[in-house]
Amino acid sequence: MQNQETTIQAAIDIGSNTIHIVVARCSPTSLEILHDEQEMVRIGESVTANGEISAQKIDETISLLSHYKTLAVHYTSALPLIIATEAIRKARNNQQFLAAIHSATNLHVHIIDGTVEALLTFYGATYELYQEPSPPSQVAVLDLGGGSMELVTASNKQVTWHTSVPLGSGWLHDRYLQSDPPSQEDLEVAHTFLDTYLAGLRLKQHPFPILIATGGSANSLLLLARQALNLSEQETRLTYKQIVRCEYLLRNHSAEEISQRYAQPLKRARILPAGALIIHALMANLLLGEIRISTHGIREGALLAYAHYGDYWLQHLQKNAQSSPEKIDNLSQDEQQETFTQSGARLLLERTRKMLEWRSDVLKHKDIEAVHKMRVASRRLRAVLDAYEAACDPKRFKKVYRQVKEIADILGNARDTDVMMANLQQQLTQAPEASQLALQWLIERLSAYRQTHQKELEAFLQAIDEDAFVQQIVACLLEGETRHGKS
Amino acid sequence: MAKAKPIIGLDIHAPTEVNARIIAKTRLAELYIWERYVDDPYYVHKLHNLRIAAKRLRYTLEIFADVLPPTIAPFLKEVAQIQEELGALHDTDVMIALLRLCLGAQDGGSGYEYALAHARKAQKKSDFVINPDIVASLLDPRTVPSTTERRGLESLLLDLHQQRNEHYSTFRQHWYSLQTEDFRNMVLSAIDAEP
Repeated sequence: MQNQETTIQAAIDIGSNTIHIVVARCSPTSLEILHDEQEMVRIGESVTANGEISAQKIDETISLLSHYKTLAVHYTSALPLIIATEAIRKARNNQQFLAAIHSATNLHVHIIDGTVEALLTFYGATYELYQEPSPPSQVAVLDLGGGSMELVTASNKQVTWHTSVPLGSGWLHDRYLQSDPPSQEDLEVAHTFLDTYLAGLRLKQHPFPILIATGGSANSLLLLARQALNLSEQETRLTYKQIVRCEYLLRNHSAEEISQRYAQPLKRARILPAGALIIHALMANLLLGEIRISTHGIREGALLAYAHYGDYWLQHLQKNAQSSPEKIDNLSQDEQQETFTQSGARLLLERTRKMLEWRSDVLKHKDIEAVHKMRVASRRLRAVLDAYEAACDPKRFKKVYRQVKEIADILGNARDTDVMMANLQQQLTQAPEASQLALQWLIERLSAYRQTHQKELEAFLQAIDEDAFVQQIVACLLEGETRHGKS
Repeated sequence: MAKAKPIIGLDIHAPTEVNARIIAKTRLAELYIWERYVDDPYYVHKLHNLRIAAKRLRYTLEIFADVLPPTIAPFLKEVAQIQEELGALHDTDVMIALLRLCLGAQDGGSGYEYALAHARKAQKKSDFVINPDIVASLLDPRTVPSTTERRGLESLLLDLHQQRNEHYSTFRQHWYSLQTEDFRNMVLSAIDAEP
């Protein structure tokens, strides 16, 4: 940083939940953060309620931006870069909002579209990662804001796909989770909405081997987990299980309790259950065992872009964003040549899902073929595990392999009995009378065993937590891209 | 059941296609470990291992069908058929073992105790074909078969032996027809062929 050409610059992002300023000494590839401050104004709240930014929110914003301008002047003579996102995009009176800000502060705000937002977020969230000696080649970034969620995938530092979805923590809170703490009923409705919405996005066709989450909810969740789950202050990863545990806390304590116990700003504590729910649903949808959290995002991305492109930074980004369809095409070529670890992740997910698809039919106990199909699926899953053992963490592999074997064994006992009974039934029709009695005796005995075993089988299958099981299977694969040398 | 062989020489950063060939060859070699037992119909457990090895090869070829050469397809069918033939043999072996235990147990309390203990002990070593809980259910002294039923079971046992011979014969004939065609080397060539 000392040897590079640097400049001090401030960037402000007006989001749906927060207005956030970062001042940094900038070069095109790195930043030295000098000041970082944010305030929850929750502009999105009034936009969700009335379709426009209320006069009160406009005043609060102007007041805060005036303060930020003074702060920026303390470090640099340059005016701060100011970008506004989803809530402002959606607000009917956004031009009036911009004019009011300009008139009061002489600051110019750029309303950026979702695609530029995704690109800036990616640059900001990954620049530290790319300074590591062996950065992973495949990275995905999630920026969970108050009003929207940006998802970006990249291969070898090149953005391969991105999307902006108008779904954020503040929006979900305002729409579904207003009770404090959220009621079970509301949570279920929100959960159903998220599952359906995410399934419709068909995200799984894009690779998400390493997901870096940024934004207020992700960072607040990390802070909550560090305190509530005794994680170290240096920890920047959250596992699926830890997120579920945080959700449990948020579901059982009011925002005020969370705020007091875990030093969260009250406004943030109010919307954190929604943020946790979105992250949880996304991880379940993408079958991710863990995520990494970055404190950097869109503001840092703007600073890097400014350092790289100068005054025309936004025009350059808009041009980059327009070239995205070509890059999406390139992605499908990449997928054809997926690495062993990538194909392992895909196959393990496919086979695990396939196996679990049969669970409800086995529990219904109406068609003996369901047991057969689930058992075969379990064996195919084991075959995939056998094939990818070298790409797995040995301890995790052993654990999941044992679990899959247990499933196969308990299904095997049922299936073997079903086959014996079916064979005997077939012989019964052709057997002489003396043999028929014997066959009937045998079928009855086997049937008695099968009934008992069905109860055992049902209890076993009902105890499987599908989400957790899938996460365990996925988590057993090593992050292939960060590991070098032959296995 | 024999454990799957660990795969040596994989490069987790290489394209899947490269590793898929290594895995398929390992599974093919694993199948031929059990070849020497093909001529002995009473190596029940070894023939069962051959069946499992065939199943592993089949699943491997199916899993990596997208990246392996399409010329593999006819060999995949043969492997699946071998697996099914050995499956029919195994199902009959299970029934025969079950009936033997069942009939043996009727000879007296000590026979019953012995059969049960043997079944449970053997299950731990994974070298027995019957689930011990089924054995326990069948050997329940409260539900012993009547003399007529017992005679019927003896007759069924004879029939099953006959069926087993037929299953074994079908499998062995198929196996040798494949070996005459140099099946192993043909599969190897197909695995190594240009995609």
